[in-house]
Amino acid sequence: MDNWVIAMMLGVSIFLGAVALFAFLWAIKNGQFDDEEKFLNAAKFDGEDELNDALKQEQKKASLKKNYKPE
Amino acid sequence: MSSKVPCSHCHLEFNKSVMIKDENHYFCCTGCKGVFHLLKDEGLESFYEKSKNTTLSPPSQNFEDSSSFNSQSFYDKFVKINRDGFCEVSLIIEGIHCSACVWLNEKVLHKMDGVIEANINFTNNKATIVWADDVVKLSAVIDTIRSIGYNAFAYDSLAQETHANRERRAYYLKMAVAIFASMNIMWIAVAQYAGYFSGIKQDVKTILNIAEGILATPVLFYSGWVFFRGGYYGLRAKVINMDLLVATGATLTYIYSLYITVIQKGEAYFDSVSMIITFVLIGKFLEILSKKNAADMLDKIANSIPSEVKVVKNSKIVACKLDDVQAGDIVVVASGERILLDGEIIKGSGSFDESNLTGESEPVYKSEGMSVISGTLSIDADIHFRAAKDFKHSTLSNIVKLLESAINKKPKIQQMANRLSEHFSSVILTLSLLTFLAWFFWPHSFETSLMVAVSVIIIACPCALALATPVATLVGLGLGASRGVLFKEAAGLEIMAKIDTLVLDKTGTITVGKPEVIKEHIFESFDKKLLYSLVKSSNHPVAKGVAKFIKEENENIADTVFDEFTQIPAQGIRAKLRDIELLGGNKKLLDEYGVRIDFFSQETLFYFVVNQRVVAIYELEDKIKDGIKELAKTMKKMNIDVVMLTGDNESAARKVALKVGIENVLYEQTPQSKAEYINELHSESKSVVMVGDGVNDILALASADIGIVMGSGSDIAVEVGDVVLLNNSIKSLEDAFKISSTTFSLIKQNLLISLAYNALTIPLAMAGYVIPLVAAISMSTSSLLVVGNSMRIRHKWNKD
Repeated sequence: MDNWVIAMMLGVSIFLGAVALFAFLWAIKNGQFDDEEKFLNAAKFDGEDELNDALKQEQKKASLKKNYKPE
Repeated sequence: MSSKVPCSHCHLEFNKSVMIKDENHYFCCTGCKGVFHLLKDEGLESFYEKSKNTTLSPPSQNFEDSSSFNSQSFYDKFVKINRDGFCEVSLIIEGIHCSACVWLNEKVLHKMDGVIEANINFTNNKATIVWADDVVKLSAVIDTIRSIGYNAFAYDSLAQETHANRERRAYYLKMAVAIFASMNIMWIAVAQYAGYFSGIKQDVKTILNIAEGILATPVLFYSGWVFFRGGYYGLRAKVINMDLLVATGATLTYIYSLYITVIQKGEAYFDSVSMIITFVLIGKFLEILSKKNAADMLDKIANSIPSEVKVVKNSKIVACKLDDVQAGDIVVVASGERILLDGEIIKGSGSFDESNLTGESEPVYKSEGMSVISGTLSIDADIHFRAAKDFKHSTLSNIVKLLESAINKKPKIQQMANRLSEHFSSVILTLSLLTFLAWFFWPHSFETSLMVAVSVIIIACPCALALATPVATLVGLGLGASRGVLFKEAAGLEIMAKIDTLVLDKTGTITVGKPEVIKEHIFESFDKKLLYSLVKSSNHPVAKGVAKFIKEENENIADTVFDEFTQIPAQGIRAKLRDIELLGGNKKLLDEYGVRIDFFSQETLFYFVVNQRVVAIYELEDKIKDGIKELAKTMKKMNIDVVMLTGDNESAARKVALKVGIENVLYEQTPQSKAEYINELHSESKSVVMVGDGVNDILALASADIGIVMGSGSDIAVEVGDVVLLNNSIKSLEDAFKISSTTFSLIKQNLLISLAYNALTIPLAMAGYVIPLVAAISMSTSSLLVVGNSMRIRHKWNKD
């Protein structure tokens, strides 16, 4: 077996693993695991409505930000 | 009999006849009905589907005016401006029962204009709300939360708390990286070891080394950063600690392995680098995880104090901020309210619950001219009193201040492993330096000498040492939990094993805390239903004790409604049903109504009188809990002094002490004097366990090395204690002692195992006999031995 094949396989698998790791790190930093109870229950309350609400909330925040003038 | 139906909102069950009917729904009150319709209009009725049958508390109607949330002083204290310029406040939401409540609150707040973010933590009910102040005011946000049946308090999110959260999160990140890299290095190491036995090409080996090196780099410099920092601070304080050993060991191994990879000869040790860091990091994390959050505790205590009182100004009753009340102001207190200031009654009379200060549940009767103390509760008294001091100097505020300082000044006993590791680290580092010098001057090449010196550090891997304490305490915590003994902090197990004085509170700890009927004397037959209805409507502990006794005797007893019913403070109850006159109470009540009887007993008596004739007498006693005598004996065997503290008078205290066989008794203690006594013991360099249950014990609990609280105790006491006895029994108090001493001996065994292992292998390593494979295997073996030994204890306990 070529050395190159070994190197590539190692590289690709570690890279894929690292992508998952970074997604996990992002989620921790984002506070998604801060409250374990809520995190577990979130699966029950998930659905299309929730996604729409989250989007609306983002839009509301963006529009408020535009018009907001702190004294 | 009409059937019971649940309220459509709060799910509490009531008789159908008293419910408000609305189409095919039933409600217990207009509040519930209001919330139900509000949610329906907002399209949020799926809340009921999510909350299933959880019972909620019906919405309250009387709140303080929410406009105080808009005041400048409130904003200065609680509201922060976040990065985007929006306002942010931290609230504690009251009334959260289930995850659906969290969902509902967040949903409703998100629907409001101007609210940008609402995030509620289910575990501690704390919420962070971000809003645009020019669109919506905070009072509107609070009103919305109240309108759906919850309530909100602001709290000052302390710097301490945010710091603790940040630290925990940083550990999660570091562990995720370390575990990910270690697991990947492990499967690469499988190839390495296979190659070691069956032969492997040097260039393939180099590729594997490079891959391991890449993975080990973030582990050492990102995850392992805590050890560099800890080692550095240790050096500055002139201490060689475990962190320094881990950091130097891992770094030397890392550099050596890099060198091996470059010269393409010999064995690299990248797997050891990441394993050491990962194992020790996990051990450190377990310790941090089990530390309890003092900040959370103080928040809850501060929030239990209302911020407003009613004051008479210009002969009108107005609400006034607690901090603004001056000495000399006249304060109005209605029945059921808490007294927040010290003063003297100028109008009205009634009974007060002073259990917060004395621990005794017996109400105290007070009338004009007598003084009231802050922190006590008015049971049935509507009074006006003249404040003697402002709130800052009141008894209540003093207790809160003392409590804060007691929590912050809690004595810390250094853990055995920490003390040991200081010596261990310096010995290992010196040994490795000596080995290097010996080999170098013996004469060997620099390369060989360095390898041997590094192998000494690797073989002395502190994994086992670092795991010894956390693994043993985890087993101890598990054992405790399965027996109803909740240790809040892992370190508590070790501290408790070194205790030499046990201080017990009387009421609620040694005794049950509630009077129970021990004897019933019936002189004439009577309808038990009447007596039951009479005592049931009173809140007095004696009446409650009698009610409980009758209920136990006759389970299906029903109650009647009286035509006339009055409670006579400090005496008893009087009721009328048609032409029957009923009296129930103490001797004073009988004297008052001219009923004569000769009866004598040591115990508390309850007389029941029908139409001026005494028909029954009940003798009541605050029963002593089972097992207390055995506990006193066990403590004597373990050489632990036992002391009883009580707010009760001397004779009552002596009576109980004699029964249970405790010689040291202190009576008529106030919350402050209890804490002072504990501090006195500390100054005699004694380690103290305090056991209590009430608000009057919290200062003492916080001052003691370990505070043990009965699970049935007041919320604040449970919050302050280090150990909670869930089933309130003396047996589990004994268990707590046993578990902690077992755990401590386990810690000692584990430390011994890891030291013995080192004593065996370090000489081999110094002599240069240790090949990499042996080093790696023995490293895991010692860790496994420690973990295995800890598990052994579990089995031993389960057999008993």
